[in-house]
Amino acid sequence: MTGLGSLVRLALRRSRWFYLAWVLALTAVVPLTAAAYEQIVDPGNADLLIATMTNNPTMRAMLGPPVDLTSAGGFTVWRVGTFAAAMAGIMAVLGVVRSTRAEEEDGRTELLRSGATGRHAPLVAGVLVALLACAALGVAVAASMTAVGEPVAGSVAFGAGLALVGATFAGVGAVAAQLTASARTAKALGLWTLAAAYTLRAVADGSTDEAVRQLAWGSPVQWMALTRPYADERWWVLALPAVTAVVLLTLAVGLETRRDHGSGLWAARRGRAEAVASLATPGALVRRLQRGQVIGWTIGLLLFALAMGSLSTAFDDMLEQVPQLRLIFQRMGGGAEQLVDAFFVALLSIVAVLIAVVAVQLFSRLAAEEERGHAELVLSTGATRGRLLGAYLLVAALAPALMLVAVGAVMALNQARATGDWGIVAEVAGAGAALAPGGLLVLGIAVLLHGWAPRLAWLTWVVVAWSLVMVWVGAALDLPEWLTELTPWSPLPQLPVEDMDWLAVLGMTGLAALLLGLGAVGYRRRDITST
Amino acid sequence: MNAIELQAVTKRFGRTTALDGLTMQVATGEVHGFLGPNGSGKSTTIRVLLGLLRADSGTARLLGGDPWSDAPALHRRLAYVPGDVALWPNLTGGEVIDLLGRLRGGTDPARRAALLERFDLDPTKKGTTYSKGNRQKVALVAALASDVELLLLDEPTSGLDPLMEAQFRAVIADERGRGRTVLLSSHILSEVEHLCDRVSIIRSGQVVESGTLAELRHLTRTLVVAELAAPVPEGLATAPGVHDAELDGHRITCQVDDTELGQVMSRLSALGIRSITSTPPTLEELFLRHYDESGR
Repeated sequence: MTGLGSLVRLALRRSRWFYLAWVLALTAVVPLTAAAYEQIVDPGNADLLIATMTNNPTMRAMLGPPVDLTSAGGFTVWRVGTFAAAMAGIMAVLGVVRSTRAEEEDGRTELLRSGATGRHAPLVAGVLVALLACAALGVAVAASMTAVGEPVAGSVAFGAGLALVGATFAGVGAVAAQLTASARTAKALGLWTLAAAYTLRAVADGSTDEAVRQLAWGSPVQWMALTRPYADERWWVLALPAVTAVVLLTLAVGLETRRDHGSGLWAARRGRAEAVASLATPGALVRRLQRGQVIGWTIGLLLFALAMGSLSTAFDDMLEQVPQLRLIFQRMGGGAEQLVDAFFVALLSIVAVLIAVVAVQLFSRLAAEEERGHAELVLSTGATRGRLLGAYLLVAALAPALMLVAVGAVMALNQARATGDWGIVAEVAGAGAALAPGGLLVLGIAVLLHGWAPRLAWLTWVVVAWSLVMVWVGAALDLPEWLTELTPWSPLPQLPVEDMDWLAVLGMTGLAALLLGLGAVGYRRRDITST
Repeated sequence: MNAIELQAVTKRFGRTTALDGLTMQVATGEVHGFLGPNGSGKSTTIRVLLGLLRADSGTARLLGGDPWSDAPALHRRLAYVPGDVALWPNLTGGEVIDLLGRLRGGTDPARRAALLERFDLDPTKKGTTYSKGNRQKVALVAALASDVELLLLDEPTSGLDPLMEAQFRAVIADERGRGRTVLLSSHILSEVEHLCDRVSIIRSGQVVESGTLAELRHLTRTLVVAELAAPVPEGLATAPGVHDAELDGHRITCQVDDTELGQVMSRLSALGIRSITSTPPTLEELFLRHYDESGR
């Protein structure tokens, strides 16, 4: 552990903005939701709302089962708690890999290790800084919830729960960083673990089967909510993430002892001595580079769609169990049919934004290729800039759009099987297709920035992150409607609940095409620089 | 016709001027050394020639075309080896060689095999598992295996061991024999001295000296060390054409301008020479002189 102090300072110095942005953004969401409680929940109607929410599989799958909605604190934990826990996990995974494996991959750790530095010091330093950020998040959440007038005990449980879920995923990130030699793969491993945990709890919480519901205990992202902040806290549950984090971190240190510096435990395999005949164009190269990511995302999204789709038939059970709900929904202007449709719409609007993340990620590979000098190598041959850009655009535009259609189709499978009405598969697939122009517009923004101002590429992520927060928790934040509607997807028709709006769909597609074209013009005119 | 023609090329990045009115020519069929320390503008020049960067002013011609607007067509006739070769982590060396060759318009399989043998390179390893030297070899094999007119090599041997460097020199000598033009950027002077017909020295984005090694030497000073019969008169140290003189009784060590060499020699012989050595400047001294003077 020699040199740990200076390494911690170094990691802190290199990641301070990263963690600061995450912690501030996550902390802001929590008290905002609590403050909006009064507007959202009408005190006279609370019991009915709770009954509705408790029995609504969509809400339970997306947010977890509500425990106590009669207080602003309990409501906040239910509405944004699991989301915040998942986000804290993402922060921890990305943060740990970023200051451990990524540094090692880039050769900087070697320089440090050659100095008076212990074998495990860089790993422990990276983890400590991540834990520090998780702790800061916990303290900030607890303090801000107390500040808006919620009970101290519940606020502490809420903050501690978030911090410890984050710590668990810091452990996941640390283990992933030992397994593979590439930071990209390590991040993917960590995020996949998180996605699996989230899907597990979504299926468990959305289920009507009591035995299936118990599976939620197996999902680290749910441990904060299982502590039941503001509802007679079960403090012992906090031991689950604490122990898991310690076990994972010990495992990571143990694994690091068993590997060489610079390599992962999963040995790098050898490959072909000669390229297959088709690897001869920029398009073929890009498909080869993006193949793994596209397949991975497709499998993940389809599994998610399958899992979510299996919940759609639970509405019938729900209506059977609570007949008065049918009356409520009818009074609100929709029957049970619309209830299922609304479920698909709600999920598709989240998936549409997630898939835009895929699109931006696929396209941002071009910027990474330029930075690493790969693009220079390709562009020094007969390949033109237009063809290179086109190759990336084709993958980044087409693959996500097809994913969205496929997610819609797969999500509706269960409903179609149950009702025998297979038309719904095409209908929900079409609903996915109608949302695709939103992703295309985001891609257009990314291309425009890449062509004219590559340093501002982060603006695209702001658009995506904004949309994600708005679609997920926006309704709970007491923001004006024009603000929550300020996303590329808002103008698009939400089929099948709304009618098809060709003007919006085609207009958005046209706008996206215009941005793509403008971006391409800029890309052909600017300097290609590498670091 | 010249393979490369740069006329007063200027390139700025924000406030820094990377190329400051750079002018140079590389004749077709020659191996041209491009000398300069890190940050002097060598890589920027090559990137302008590759059409990756657009010059702010001045004209650049490459193989008779415009490197910016005719890039893809010109690129089929040249091959480039960057100083720091970045390989894709999930592609093997062999795959990269084939891909780059095909993008350039095809490789000669026999030549590819011979080069792999010559550079002792394992093509089945994945990009991330190669060392710096081996990554460079991948790019070198890819460049040399295709049939092109011009090779742009940006410090191609900076990661190679001495054995491989010798192989590299032999290969470049072969290439010259086949009539290819080579622009070899380097700061390893012995390499340039061995390989190059002509040399351009770049400093702060300008070519400060250009010509054959003989021409460059002609303009310079010779190191003279003489042992005289009589004590060296003080006046000799300040004689025209004599620089950095050190007097030590009967012994004198000094640099003499080539133009004044005859004059200095006759003065020395008048004093009675017991022994004398004169050493022509190495490229290293030429180079250091340019940089020393700029420092002053």
